[in-house]
Amino acid sequence: MHELSIARSLVEQAVDAAADHGAERIDRLELEIGEATHLNPDQLTFCVETVAAETPAAEADIAVTSVSPEGVCDCGWSGRPAEIQDLPMAVPDLRCPECDSRLELTAGTECRLARISVPETDDTT
Amino acid sequence: MHMHTHRLERSMDRLVTDLLGPLSLHRFGHSHDDGAADEDDVLEQFRKQARNVHEEVVHDHDVSCVEFLGSTGSGKTTLVERLVERAPPEETIGAIVGDVAGDDDASRLEAHGVEVVNVNTGKECHLDGSLVADAVAEFDLDSLDRLYVENVGNMVCPADFPLGAQARVLVVSTTEGDDVVRKHPLLFQACDAAVVNKADIADAVGADTDSMRDDIDEIAPEMPVFETNARDGVGIDALSSSLPDTPHAHTH
Ligand SMILES: Nc1nc2c(ncn2[C@@H]2O[C@H](COP(=O)(O)OP(=O)(O)O)[C@@H](O)[C@H]2O)c(=O)[nH]1
Ligand SMILES: [Mg+2]
Ligand SMILES: [Zn+2]
Ligand SMILES: [Zn+2]
Ligand SMILES: [Zn+2]
Ligand SMILES: [Zn+2]
Repeated sequence: MHELSIARSLVEQAVDAAADHGAERIDRLELEIGEATHLNPDQLTFCVETVAAETPAAEADIAVTSVSPEGVCDCGWSGRPAEIQDLPMAVPDLRCPECDSRLELTAGTECRLARISVPETDDTT
Repeated sequence: MHMHTHRLERSMDRLVTDLLGPLSLHRFGHSHDDGAADEDDVLEQFRKQARNVHEEVVHDHDVSCVEFLGSTGSGKTTLVERLVERAPPEETIGAIVGDVAGDDDASRLEAHGVEVVNVNTGKECHLDGSLVADAVAEFDLDSLDRLYVENVGNMVCPADFPLGAQARVLVVSTTEGDDVVRKHPLLFQACDAAVVNKADIADAVGADTDSMRDDIDEIAPEMPVFETNARDGVGIDALSSSLPDTPHAHTH
């Protein structure tokens, strides 16, 4: 289950950012997960909660947003790829709708900490 | 169903301040067209480790590097054995073998004269760039011509973790059923070539390799497919000649 190592990186980033702001506590963690990854939002949330115990993020609310795939093609097409039908999960159709060549994904494969919320302090970075 | 992130972000801003009163928010770079955003992407950090491995092995030391992945039993080690048997005698070959436990594959490849570094991944179900980087450090790269990486038998998470090889070759076997492609689409999309192994028993197990090819074409357009019988060495030459041979033939 690799959600755990990813959760560790995410919490580390959040704790570092909170420390930069002189915040003692993190109230909320917002994560973005690409749909074209195998990361499971529920599992990741659980892992983040586990890893966050005994850190300033221990009590933080965790919000996960899924990011839709976006693709580009050498022919100049770019946009949201269609979804392949009859598959057990959402999978982008990598055939360019204009020319049938293979698209390159520019979004949908990420996993990042989008934002943290910390109590108001004097630091206004 | 899936609201665009930017819009959602903005409404979240409002939501947070409404519900919780004034807060200081730290926003991490996030937009797709903002290069700096990659710094915050945890998966991108793993990809970066893989690129470092690639740079060191392939570009700095001229070692061609190919990864094999797929379920346990699909025939990855057997394929590597067949490829090693075909290599010219002066070629020095290394292998990194990921295994949840044990070193059976390592001893099989060592018996073929391959220098093997075994990576016991323990609780992790896949190799990642940093595990491979550690394994690479155990080789004398100057003396190596070729490096094979056999990933842990797993059809799920390796999709999110490239290892820095020049090609990722996904090995499935006919015994896994001809719906194996549709069951693991993201892994097919993440790989560069597919091997449909155990072609010798396709009929016996009722697997339709043509429909597997059609599925691969739909899910991973332009992906080359090789049908092999690794046990008896059938179809290996076609695979072997398509594998990257001259490390500097490509640029980034
Ligand atoms: N019938 C048949 N058996 C094969 C073939 N390739 C591998 N095997 C057998 O399948 C088993 C698993 O192969 P192995 O290479 O260890 O799979 P790995 O776990 O993917 O490394 C072994 O008993 C092999 O002899 C093949 O093409 N046809
Ligand atoms: Mg093996
Ligand atoms: Zn196109
Ligand atoms: Zn800030
Ligand atoms: Zn894994
Ligand atoms: Zn390269």
